[in-house]
Amino acid sequence: MKILGISAHYHDSAAALVVDGVPVCAVQEERLSRSKNDAAFPINAIEWCLDHAALEPADLDAVVFYERSMLKFERVLTSTLCAFPRSWGAFPHAIKNTLGEKVWVRGIIASQLGIPRSRILFTDHHASHAAAAFLASPSRRAAILTADGVGEWATLTVGTGERRADGQTDITLRREIRFPHSLGMLYSTMTAYLGFKVNEDEYKVMGLAAYGRPTMIDQVRRTVRQQADGSFTLAPEYFEFQTSAARSYSSKFIDLFGPPRDPYDPIDLDSSDGRRFADCAASVQRVLEDILVDIATRLRRETGLPDLCFGGGVALNGVANARLLAEAGFDRVFVPSAPGDAGCSLGAALYADRIYFRNPDRDVPDHPFWGPAVDASHLARAAREDGQAVEELGDAPLIERIADELAADRIVGWMDGACEFGPRALGHRSILAASHEPGMRDRLNREIKRREDFRPFAPIVTSEAADRFFDLPPGGARLARYMSGVFPVRPEWRPRLGAVTHVDGSARVQVLERDMAPRLHALLEAYGRRTGMPVLLNTSFNVAGEPIVTQALEGYMTYRRCGIDVLVGGNTLVSKRSTAASLKESGEWSSNSVAASTVG
Amino acid sequence: MAAVSRGKSLDRLMRSVHQWVWSDSERRLRKLLTFADVETDGGRDILRAAEVTPDPLLRRLYLEHAIDELRHGDLFRERGTELLRAQRTHRKVLLSGNPLPGGHGLDDLRIEGEPDDRLLAFLHVAEKAAAGRFTIYRELVDDDPRTRAIFEEILRDEVFHMNYTYTQLARVAPRTYRRHVWHARAKRLWNRYLRVAAAVAGAFSTVLLTAVYFVLLPPFAWLAKRTRRGEPIGWTPIARERQASPRSQY
Repeated sequence: MKILGISAHYHDSAAALVVDGVPVCAVQEERLSRSKNDAAFPINAIEWCLDHAALEPADLDAVVFYERSMLKFERVLTSTLCAFPRSWGAFPHAIKNTLGEKVWVRGIIASQLGIPRSRILFTDHHASHAAAAFLASPSRRAAILTADGVGEWATLTVGTGERRADGQTDITLRREIRFPHSLGMLYSTMTAYLGFKVNEDEYKVMGLAAYGRPTMIDQVRRTVRQQADGSFTLAPEYFEFQTSAARSYSSKFIDLFGPPRDPYDPIDLDSSDGRRFADCAASVQRVLEDILVDIATRLRRETGLPDLCFGGGVALNGVANARLLAEAGFDRVFVPSAPGDAGCSLGAALYADRIYFRNPDRDVPDHPFWGPAVDASHLARAAREDGQAVEELGDAPLIERIADELAADRIVGWMDGACEFGPRALGHRSILAASHEPGMRDRLNREIKRREDFRPFAPIVTSEAADRFFDLPPGGARLARYMSGVFPVRPEWRPRLGAVTHVDGSARVQVLERDMAPRLHALLEAYGRRTGMPVLLNTSFNVAGEPIVTQALEGYMTYRRCGIDVLVGGNTLVSKRSTAASLKESGEWSSNSVAASTVG
Repeated sequence: MAAVSRGKSLDRLMRSVHQWVWSDSERRLRKLLTFADVETDGGRDILRAAEVTPDPLLRRLYLEHAIDELRHGDLFRERGTELLRAQRTHRKVLLSGNPLPGGHGLDDLRIEGEPDDRLLAFLHVAEKAAAGRFTIYRELVDDDPRTRAIFEEILRDEVFHMNYTYTQLARVAPRTYRRHVWHARAKRLWNRYLRVAAAVAGAFSTVLLTAVYFVLLPPFAWLAKRTRRGEPIGWTPIARERQASPRSQY
């Protein structure tokens, strides 16, 4: 059975294809359109998935959309009505936004793919999150927790999943917290207050939190009130996301926390305002963690299950995930590589396969590499045309060469195989660098990533050596498989892992098993033989504001315009040649006979 | 180059508006920060062009062009941030939005599926327009040597951009390059019309929907609020039937 899953129209749209119960491919639209967090209908992603599997739309048995768009419209309309008359400014925006495209999704899919409307199915938004978290994990029975900004009505759900002995699968979401009470919206509101982009920069709040002290917990607790049964409500007087399209926090919120940060104003942690912003971030982070841990602890007691599968955008919060593992009583916590809305495309397809069609359970390969593969020949051609030094090497010499480069403090762009599904570079589209020197972090920020100084870089370590360098609790290595947990760097190694140790001594480490990315694992070992530490700095292969690179040429263009020293695509190695002449200066561009002076 | 050095006629006509924008320090820094974003976005678009073109020479030129645009974005951003820091103590309100839209003219750039000749013509026309406008801006910031120096540096690049795009257009489309330029100009005008038309339609629909909101919605709002009051807060049980209805959008 061939099932296409689609997520779209909110942020980070994506498509995923499941054939006979097993994912074949999945990719976010942004990776193909090159527009970060592209929310458009993912036609490029769909086309790529179908091409990859050599299918035509007519071959599909079902196309599953990841949420119920009319139910979502109902929520938008009802929320606006309930806020009457304060919602007068938001109403036209909400109606135009929804009626413009979002509610016509069945027709859009039918017309774009040319398939009968009867083949188009829908799942609940949070059921898609739950399926992505549970069905892509190796767990047989697990408690399920999903949390994000909002789906249709739900913002947080709890339930269970079970792969039964007869091959059938059950996913039961038992109860939910409904909009406007939302942990995701709380965190996003603080994200906006701190001058960052909503639905994009929440991880910056998490990074900033480490610089602050949770001195404003009482203030945050006034905006979100927890009930005796573990549920919570947002105090509406502090929020405006229901009544305004322009701002999500109210004047009372400003009274509580002080003036908001101007997005263009750099965060100066030596200033009183900078410290206040860091304290705000630390406080909202702590409250988020406390509420999640409380809900998860109750869920553990209620279900008695040792595994937790956690999905939704909130599951990208690695600090909270680590606390869930440490404190909620679960032995293992699984977070998929794409816990956000993009991952819902895969979740929706798997949900339809297992729950709607009752197809027997199949193991889902335990890796995140579902996207387009890199074609090294494109890289070699472009680099040669551009006068760069190109070498084609076998696996072993290439690994040894790159380990030498890294040990010599050179920065390496690394493209290997299929790209990752999800927001993180997990070893197939990465920028790698030595992890020991804090100066490397500054160099990466200055020459490549161009991002805020307070944001940490993540390490990657072989699974065999992880415990030596990082204080991983039981189950920590599993959570760190997709870089989903933040754990302490062992104190004795912090001075020697200066580029990847955050200000609070933690790191969002990826623990790499050999089977998941054998070449990168070999590289880590080779680097370890030279330095005594099989730990590298691993950051996504992109520059600020751009999606992670997908194709070889995109990697090459990124390499050419920033401070990456060496680029690897498959078995092709490109080294920067400083003598490559600028066309502007050489005048080569004007060798054509048409005179520039005729312009106009 | 004469056209560039004088600025385009439309921009000359709007000189007093431009003067109003640049004479105020708050508006000036907002404009610079907006330019930073527009230049950076334009750089990314051109970078995409470098990724998709089959022509090796154009790939290198687009890359240099993109690097220039990204650098311009940095120059504007750094200057805007400097002004922001200098004014931090004086500012009381946070402005949002852009007092004058269209900093550079590379909006509406569609890379995917666009052949090189049309793209080059589009870039040429856009760069020429931007160069004309920046010439006026340079004159208007005479009191601010650092900002003026940035415009001068960028103008030098813009001249290279408009010249290489024209020269390369003549290379890749030797028989039709003039037509492409006129087509690009017409398309730019058409896109401006579409933008204005969309803005008018948007304003009209906003007025209409606001009227609907106040005239038709009050009874429904009363009902919605009444229903909401009866809803329990906290956990809500999820009905199994809802999860088992694959064809329903509700």
